[in-house]
Amino acid sequence: MNRRTRLWLVAVGGAGLAALLVAACLELPDFGGDRHPYGDRAVHESLARHTANTIASVNFDQRALDTLGEISILFAAVVGCVVLLRQTRDEHRARPRPADVARPVRRYALAVLPVALLTGLYVIAHGQLSPGGGFQGGVAAATALHLLYLGADYRTLERIRPVGLYEVGDALAVSAYLVTGLACLIGAGSFLANTLLPYGTFNTLSSGGTVPLLNAAVGMEVACAVVVLLARFLDQAVEIVEENGT
Amino acid sequence: MNGWLLTAGVVLAAGGAAALLGVATGPLRRRVVAQNLLTALACPGLLLLAQAYDRPSYVDVALVLALLGPVGTLVFARLLADELAADPPRARTLTWAAAGLGAAVVVVLCAAVGPSRAMVKLLVTGALLIVGNVIASHALSGGFPGESR
Amino acid sequence: MIVVALLLVAACATTAVLVRDPVHQALVLAVLGTVLAVLFTVLQAPDVALSQLAVGSALTPLLMLLAVRKVKRPRRHKGDER
Repeated sequence: MNRRTRLWLVAVGGAGLAALLVAACLELPDFGGDRHPYGDRAVHESLARHTANTIASVNFDQRALDTLGEISILFAAVVGCVVLLRQTRDEHRARPRPADVARPVRRYALAVLPVALLTGLYVIAHGQLSPGGGFQGGVAAATALHLLYLGADYRTLERIRPVGLYEVGDALAVSAYLVTGLACLIGAGSFLANTLLPYGTFNTLSSGGTVPLLNAAVGMEVACAVVVLLARFLDQAVEIVEENGT
Repeated sequence: MNGWLLTAGVVLAAGGAAALLGVATGPLRRRVVAQNLLTALACPGLLLLAQAYDRPSYVDVALVLALLGPVGTLVFARLLADELAADPPRARTLTWAAAGLGAAVVVVLCAAVGPSRAMVKLLVTGALLIVGNVIASHALSGGFPGESR
Repeated sequence: MIVVALLLVAACATTAVLVRDPVHQALVLAVLGTVLAVLFTVLQAPDVALSQLAVGSALTPLLMLLAVRKVKRPRRHKGDER
């Protein structure tokens, strides 16, 4: 296939996509109108399954397979990052100097660290009740850990953060999601179908069937992924030194 | 449009515009202060929005901002320590003014909500916001004295 | 409210494109993240606002600044101790 044919192919494909998108946009309900065909059905479904937060119901129940795709993307991205940013043969580790941190900043970091971790867990646990969920809470909790780097120094962070464990945790969380889906397949007849567990009382922590479980799996996956990702970046920026003459 | 929404709009529009202007131009010390101030102003704005829409669960957004906003500023303070040490920002008045605004908003909202669990959440958010911003501002103006890596 | 938030986001995003220095860009991006979160809240999408805040306020600046620091740092000679 020569250059001209390829260009034509791209042009035809792009034009088709553009035409379809425009046609779809013309059929959309008006902005701010009171007719919400998808919204009404999604809310109805989520209420039927005792999930107070419709977004969580859409993410982890009605479209749970899409979420599986998303966490696989994050997982693959982190694996790629770990492979790219590993320590190569012509690099060595330099011991970072302890940083000099003003006392109020250090105290603030140490005081806020548990609060932020707790908030992350709270956001994950209340994913089916209030805004939030695995992703948001996981990122918040992982960011909280790095207050140790900001408020103390890198060596303190390394002491409480065995990267290997977090890598294992990342993989375990993804497989936990898959196992939940398979359990639904065996118990209920279709992959990730939310009919296996009792739905619980509406608007309590244990409501929503498998939604809290999947939420927790995603939260753990995201938290571990962010920690591993930042660990690689910090290693590169702080510890690993390239030797000259490469 | 109720009063809460109007106040939130004024706070957010003024704060956002000022922060944008500060962050887009000027020396580095002005930019970091503008970034810190936006957190201090957006958080009360979000609290007011939660009250305006009558959705207590929206307070979560403000809570996360109150936690992570100062952390973001600390990131800049830590990693730009060398540049900032040469030209430290001085924004004591602005910081305390923003903290005062945050405190005022939280007190008014607490009065509107009445004693309940929601009020405790509001107080926690307010305390985190004010302490976080004052500390972050302190960190910007010389919180990392030594050359840090 | 929606118009105000949209205008802020548009101005912020344009600034992020126009600013050239990566460090300043990181600062503008942090501001953009917060403004976007406000826009999402105004549009009644607190879940998205939370995601945006979680990622945009601390994580993205940290990653960007670490990358900038790694790129800018001069190479040192073998055995050069600090």
